[in-house]
Amino acid sequence: MADPAEHREEEEEAAAAAAGEDEDTGAQVAPIVKLEEVAVTTGEEDEEVLLDMKSKLYRFDKEGNQWKERGTGTVKLLKHKETGKVRLVMRQAKTLKICANHLVATTTKMQEHAGSDKSCVWHALDFADGELKEEMFAIRFGSVENCKKFREMVEEIAEQQGKNEEKENEEVSSTAGLVEKLSVTETKKEENAEKEETPAEEDKKDAKE
Amino acid sequence: MSRAQALPDPAAVGYPSFKLILVGDGGTGKTTFVKRHITGEFEKRYEPTIGVEVRPLDFHTSRGKVRFCCWDTAGQEKFGGLRDGYYIHGHCAIIMFDVTSRLTYKNVPTWHKDICRVCDNIPIVLCGNKVDMKNRQVKAKMVTFHRKKNLQYYEISAKSNYNFEKPFLYLARKLTGDMNLRFVEELALLPADVTIDLIAQQKIETEIAAAAAMPLPDEDEDGLMD
Repeated sequence: MADPAEHREEEEEAAAAAAGEDEDTGAQVAPIVKLEEVAVTTGEEDEEVLLDMKSKLYRFDKEGNQWKERGTGTVKLLKHKETGKVRLVMRQAKTLKICANHLVATTTKMQEHAGSDKSCVWHALDFADGELKEEMFAIRFGSVENCKKFREMVEEIAEQQGKNEEKENEEVSSTAGLVEKLSVTETKKEENAEKEETPAEEDKKDAKE
Repeated sequence: MSRAQALPDPAAVGYPSFKLILVGDGGTGKTTFVKRHITGEFEKRYEPTIGVEVRPLDFHTSRGKVRFCCWDTAGQEKFGGLRDGYYIHGHCAIIMFDVTSRLTYKNVPTWHKDICRVCDNIPIVLCGNKVDMKNRQVKAKMVTFHRKKNLQYYEISAKSNYNFEKPFLYLARKLTGDMNLRFVEELALLPADVTIDLIAQQKIETEIAAAAAMPLPDEDEDGLMD
């Protein structure tokens, strides 16, 4: 007999809470500022999304020698359509503030976190606050598979950035065979684009599932 | 003096800035809530606020950037209590109580009176914090003060981030008069391209190895992505 009553009570509470959230019970107040609507610029308009996943980000506090939460939201790997450079951008859910914003460099190395196979650790020069700042980040995903996918993609991108830089150096130092090298570069870029498109599609399928 | 004139000088930050008064009993989570927004951190250790700490909190909205100057006050009388000066020219307020403590809800009317003595007709949000906790004492249906006094009420958790954006979204909507205002993406500038030299790289690898062995906070908890 107690169970149905409790269940009904819980339902009533849930309904009351839901109503409370939708309903505006606040007083009528005159607005004190007049602001025009603005067009939203995310800064990602010239980029292609390679990866987009829910995750939780931490930064290492050297002073306290401990990890501290930075945000919970979505992490994206974004490839610039012109330069081909890839960066990591993470935004806090709901408020959409930037938690992390840094390039994936040739030196970016993902390391396992000792305590969890859903997490990995790396160093970055972070631009989240609009100025470069050294950070050690840890990120945690909802599953081992997602963590592996993220880690492998970052490592692949870092390796590719290294190869691109080597090619750029060769092109700068050599004038002979310039046309041939350009054509080779274009071919490989197309191949890379095809490879990189696949993970994005897989992510979309995952999202639908 | 009209309230509009009371606005802090917009030229100081180039966008509207609102004084937000944050009150409630000690230990209800006022400071933790604000810090959660500012740094993303969840501070477990309780350190009573002494007097008042003013923390700027910016949001990017569909009507541009806005700032809440959060006057995070001492909830415990012995750490300074509140003076009228804390309330003067307040544009909006949050009263926080802890749903695991009946006394903190019982004291809400006192906090509300204090605000209304000084601030006339400002939007106020009542927040019931710590709704992630199992030992809840103040149930949702027991919360009725907001209806009597025309406050908005949100159940929140600074720990799980449940509804953590809603108090600020509500206040921003009221202050601008746009009930469809929404938070939008902050502009993500392209980072500068800088290379790290070999010696610095080796130092980083040593530090990373040490950090990778340190436990992450709340590591044992499940349901991260709920």
